Amino acid sequence: MARDRSDESYARPVRRLLLTVVMLCLIALVLLWRIDNPRVERMRAAIVDRVVPNMEWVMAPVAGAARMLGDFQSYTRLYEQNDRLREELQQLRAWREAALQLEQENARLLDLNRVHLNPELTFVTGIVMADSGSPFRRSVLINVGGRDGILNGWATMDGLGLVGRISGVGEQMSRVLLVTDSNSRVPVTVQPSGQLALLMGDNSPTPVLDFLEAPEDISAGDRIVTSGDGGLFPPGLLLGQVVMTTDGRIRARLSADLNRISFLRVMRSHPGTTLDDPGGLIGPPWPLPQSGDEPAPPATSEAIDGATLLEATE
Amino acid sequence: MSAATRRLWTYRMLFILLCLTVISLKLMPMNVGETGIPGPDILLALTLAWLLRQPAVVPVGAILLVFLLADFLLQRPPGLWTLLVLLASESLRSRRLTMTEFPFLLEWSAFAAAVFALLILNRIAMWVLMVDQATLGLTLTHGIVTIAIYPLVVAVSKFLLGLRKLGAAEPEAI
Repeated sequence: MARDRSDESYARPVRRLLLTVVMLCLIALVLLWRIDNPRVERMRAAIVDRVVPNMEWVMAPVAGAARMLGDFQSYTRLYEQNDRLREELQQLRAWREAALQLEQENARLLDLNRVHLNPELTFVTGIVMADSGSPFRRSVLINVGGRDGILNGWATMDGLGLVGRISGVGEQMSRVLLVTDSNSRVPVTVQPSGQLALLMGDNSPTPVLDFLEAPEDISAGDRIVTSGDGGLFPPGLLLGQVVMTTDGRIRARLSADLNRISFLRVMRSHPGTTLDDPGGLIGPPWPLPQSGDEPAPPATSEAIDGATLLEATE
Repeated sequence: MSAATRRLWTYRMLFILLCLTVISLKLMPMNVGETGIPGPDILLALTLAWLLRQPAVVPVGAILLVFLLADFLLQRPPGLWTLLVLLASESLRSRRLTMTEFPFLLEWSAFAAAVFALLILNRIAMWVLMVDQATLGLTLTHGIVTIAIYPLVVAVSKFLLGLRKLGAAEPEAI
């Protein structure tokens, strides 16, 4: 017993010292995360990569059981569902007819215009492995990653609409930041009026539509698609429909069903054009004209426009 | 003596196992689109409840491991919440001897005070670091739900797992 006490007498300062060192390390980690975010996020991706696939054998049965329970609950509403589905099927048949006709017309028009649709927009499909586990953050982890060629920033869709974008890629896993997350900003176009806006997530199921030029031209039910501004998303991906809330804000009801996402498509998009050469786009043409007060000849400006267009199409 | 040591290590393993289960349950992709009441921080309740009962089964290393892992996996600022939980656990550990004689209600209120102190400190730290924060209402609900779950956690660990409270006279570390 006496030996224990003597152990204690020097164990305590050592313990305190260790504790202080650990706390200082933690503070350093937080500061590092704040200062050099990408590096620590890569570290996080590596840790997720290591840990989450091992958790799968715990998670798979429980998640499966919960899904089965949900499905079982839906059995009770089977009859009404069946009726409703029949009605919808009837309506959809009509739509299908219309779509087929439009598709043929569209193909004819595209042929006339000699338009080449972007062949690079293929997709990789992944399974949702885990979510972020808190209502403060909206993101999911999917089981495709760096080894499948996934890159940061790629758009992610379910069958119908945009779900989010890749933010954080590990070797086997990657993280999808959902459009409902409060960090998510997506440049969009509101369809019939063609107005540009930003879709800003706020952790609620319906993100806010902001920076609209003329909000009075927007009505409920308008389609929202990505505009492709900033080169982050390919243009024209469906996001959802406009809804007006009672507090007068314009929000979006997403087409993607975020409650039951299990498969996600990561759209393989080509890198957007970057502005690494400001001199060619903005400012006076180079080389500068000899006499400063003389305006630039129109031929030069046209040449520059052509050059930027070329850059943009490449 | 060896039986007591084995018991201690069993509880330590059990603690880590429980925490890992809680984290993986939280990560389960079941409530992706759901909003509403944020879930309780069961990790925090479990850690502090066990700490007040038998401090030896919740060593600093275990807290560090579990919470750092949770920080990384749950997309929180890495290290911040771990640091705060370590601070809270150390201050409770040093006050444990005075708290052993407390009735449960008083212990509960001490836990509540700790939770709110943690949340406020967390918000202040995030504010200083200029990180985007959740709304105050959501944070407060989170705290209240965590406090509400505490008796349940205590009951489970006492009656199901047989973790009794050590008296002041009993040795701390076996």
